[in-house]
Amino acid sequence: SAAARRPWRLFGAMCLLRLPRITQPLEKEEEEVAALMEQIELEKSLYSDHEMRKLEEEEQLKRKMESLYDEDEARGKTVIMAQDLEEKWEQKFLRFKAAPRITDADKSNDRKSLNRKLDSNLMLLVKQKIGNQELWLLPQVEWQPGETLRSTAERAMATFLGDHIQAKVLGNAPYGIYKYKFPRAIRTENNVGAKVFFFKAFLQSSDLSQAELKADYLWVTKKELGDYLQSEYLKKVNRFVLD
Amino acid sequence: DALLASHRSYRSRPTHGIGRFKYLLPKEAPKRRKEKVQMKEISAGTEYQYGDINIQMTSYDLCLVEHFAQYVHRLCNRLSIRVNESYAMPTKTNEVLFLEERGSKMQLDAVLTTHQRVVQIRGLSSTFAPILLEIIQSSQPEGVHLLMKQHTEADFKSRLKARPELEELLAEMS
Repeated sequence: SAAARRPWRLFGAMCLLRLPRITQPLEKEEEEVAALMEQIELEKSLYSDHEMRKLEEEEQLKRKMESLYDEDEARGKTVIMAQDLEEKWEQKFLRFKAAPRITDADKSNDRKSLNRKLDSNLMLLVKQKIGNQELWLLPQVEWQPGETLRSTAERAMATFLGDHIQAKVLGNAPYGIYKYKFPRAIRTENNVGAKVFFFKAFLQSSDLSQAELKADYLWVTKKELGDYLQSEYLKKVNRFVLD
Repeated sequence: DALLASHRSYRSRPTHGIGRFKYLLPKEAPKRRKEKVQMKEISAGTEYQYGDINIQMTSYDLCLVEHFAQYVHRLCNRLSIRVNESYAMPTKTNEVLFLEERGSKMQLDAVLTTHQRVVQIRGLSSTFAPILLEIIQSSQPEGVHLLMKQHTEADFKSRLKARPELEELLAEMS
């Protein structure tokens, strides 16, 4: 349409989150409370079926040792005793090995892998050229008239990670906005500055077998964002990122 | 009985029936079992509201699921989202049998119970919905599956029990 051209250029940026896989470790107070509650529960609880069965069988064994009452009680005799079952379960449990919480990537502090911090959110940062500077940013792409801002953000994701990425975009409304004015040298009547709208998406699958187009990418947690982003940008991004 | 239920005074005294009050209260309509009609509103535009949404939580561990359902309910109360109902679906029991063949065939049994709790929400604005979803997702405990979906008639019917005798009689009649 023939509306007057706004002086701001619009960008759509995508904040791609990888959800935590493991729960965070409990704080000291939480651990103390949990231990206390467990103890209270244990003291208040009654015997379960399995434990009753175990006690009865122990009594039967004792009676067999002391006096020979084999004939009377041998009628309902079970082949498997409760004690044997318990031992079997314990052996099974010892054989089970849980996956390590701190993976190799944690130890080597390899920021490009997704296996790093399994208990916190990881975000994608990409190095982009704006003006004549190379900056670390959330992947962004310029908005073209006629498409929604959400599809701009999805396009941004697709350009940096390839198509068919299994990410779920949350809602049509942007989460945050960052606007800045261009330095005076580049400023024209039509191009006063730029506004960047942030959208959020959750990464569904954890393997990124598609080749990354830009080689400079990082997966960082919220605390490490400060190492890479500029202060103003960081302030706006921090507002909508949960820890 | 309305006369005698009050504080005990002798019947001929003028203070008889002094504590009566039930005749002053408004009349209650008798209770009837009615099927609840569904209401769904989606108003397009910038103000976009979801209709009834079910948040279903399933797990093997009963305490975890109940506490999580309580947490979600209280969270919605704090955020002033209207909660229609919060109910539990019947538990499903699964028997796990291991068939080990090492000479003598042994069968190890394990009995697992699956519990499900549902919190029904209405009046969720679409700008707020993704934030709520993220909060609930990030505070999910281990071993609990979360599912958010819109409320349908099928969901409502799954709570009701089928009546085979009634259906037989109806089939005979028609």
